[in-house]
Amino acid sequence: MTIFEKIADEVQKGNSESVEALVNEALSQEISADMIMYAGLVEGMNIVSEKFKNNECFIPEVLVSAKAMTVGLGILKPLLAEKNVKPLGRAVIGTIQGDLHDIGKNIAGMLLQGAGFEIIDLGADVHVDRFVESAKTENADLVGMSALLTTTMVNMKTVIDGLKEAGIRESVKVIIGGAPVTQAYADQIGADGYAADAATGVDVAKKLLDK
Amino acid sequence: MESGNIPVLTVVEDTIPLAYEKAIREVWKNGISIRTEYDRPEDPPSKDATVMIAVREPFGQPRFHRSFADGLGGLAEYVQEVVHGAHDYWVKPVEEIIKAVESQDTRWTYTYHGRLFEYMIEGKIVNQIDYIIDKLSQSGHTRRAQAITWNPKLDPPTEDPPCLQRVWGRLCEDGQGGFIFNMNTHWRSRDLFKAWFENVIAITTLMRKIAEGIAEKSGKKVRLGRYVDISDSLHIYGSYFREIEGDPEKGIQSFFEMLDGRSFEERTWGSDFVKPFFIDDGIGKGLKKMLEREKDMPEDVRKYIEDELRKIEDDDYVV
Repeated sequence: MTIFEKIADEVQKGNSESVEALVNEALSQEISADMIMYAGLVEGMNIVSEKFKNNECFIPEVLVSAKAMTVGLGILKPLLAEKNVKPLGRAVIGTIQGDLHDIGKNIAGMLLQGAGFEIIDLGADVHVDRFVESAKTENADLVGMSALLTTTMVNMKTVIDGLKEAGIRESVKVIIGGAPVTQAYADQIGADGYAADAATGVDVAKKLLDK
Repeated sequence: MESGNIPVLTVVEDTIPLAYEKAIREVWKNGISIRTEYDRPEDPPSKDATVMIAVREPFGQPRFHRSFADGLGGLAEYVQEVVHGAHDYWVKPVEEIIKAVESQDTRWTYTYHGRLFEYMIEGKIVNQIDYIIDKLSQSGHTRRAQAITWNPKLDPPTEDPPCLQRVWGRLCEDGQGGFIFNMNTHWRSRDLFKAWFENVIAITTLMRKIAEGIAEKSGKKVRLGRYVDISDSLHIYGSYFREIEGDPEKGIQSFFEMLDGRSFEERTWGSDFVKPFFIDDGIGKGLKKMLEREKDMPEDVRKYIEDELRKIEDDDYVV
């Protein structure tokens, strides 16, 4: 088993301590941070994501793996920044204004991060202006919005309108999801993509950004 | 063949995960197909039954099933919401609640903690959990130690009224000078597949808090007895059928294949594994993160959660 396979394996098992030790071991062997990230951490989360999609692992297990991956990424981040390694894309995500539910958004964020995206997580109950502002200042490639309530999902359209008004609608892709959201609703409000669940969200994001 | 009668099912198991799995299998196999208010037009009707579930050892290990719709850190925060009122400050004012669906305020209409610990009636606040503790401390065999959640004025017009209706408890002598606290909860409606497990982890933590309160007040040893959970409508929503049934053509296995493909140990976690995630799950949730994130949480509630966090960190506490 290569060190990358070992890292990927420990990410899958959600073993943060082993991931930390293996990432440090790989660095001591002078393996580059981006190789460790993509061939080890991201590969591990890709397998978890695929298993999740195929009903082979449970949601809390995905998040336990995400913790292990985050521990590894934490070690690599300064090195990646030094080398100016670009992520797959920058995604601003959040639960829409008025909505305090954040489970779906958190899982989607973790899977996107696990796939190699940089995530700017604005949290829950995010004001429409903050989505637009962050998309602009963070130079986002993607805006991901989640809603669990029919009363709050209407705010998603306001964000899309805000992106248009700010003149950045063409440079950013918008994905929406959440229990009451449908493909028809995404089409109706002019979103670029609809994710029926968190795992599908990664596929949709990659497709929209041609990755 | 469905007769038009809602099936009545019973599950009795030693631990929460065993009861949870058995209940899912029972409702899936024997539940009636019926529509709910939350179904989307394209969803098949839900599977539904009236179900009584008894768990002999609410804190028996392993206590945590791995199948629920959140992470361990999120579950820790939910427990604090129910037991210590972490999110009572997310409830909107009464004048907004009574506007029902006309209200533009998207904050919550209730929390279980709010209704159990601060039930409002005739302009007064009643702490019903204190009442249960007082009543059972004075007279353990009483049949009147109960707390309700339903508010007949506020709840009927809202879109999402409380599922939990009643908490009832009674003490039995343990033959050694102490007591065994038995608790029942009654639920109007319940999402079995994505809410039952988290509800029960929180409500059995409340059960322990009540038992501790009785012990302190009565000066007697109080152990936890069986927990009984009764739902008028325990259901698996039609929108979850894809997850339950899988899709063999796409290589997606069914929920039951996933269960059967693993040992029980691989489907569950013990409290020792879960404990560090309750403190901080490393991805933004857990009690530490909750205290950092929720700046507007009232100070008295914050103190309860800080105490709880200390207990968990000191290893003096089974999550």
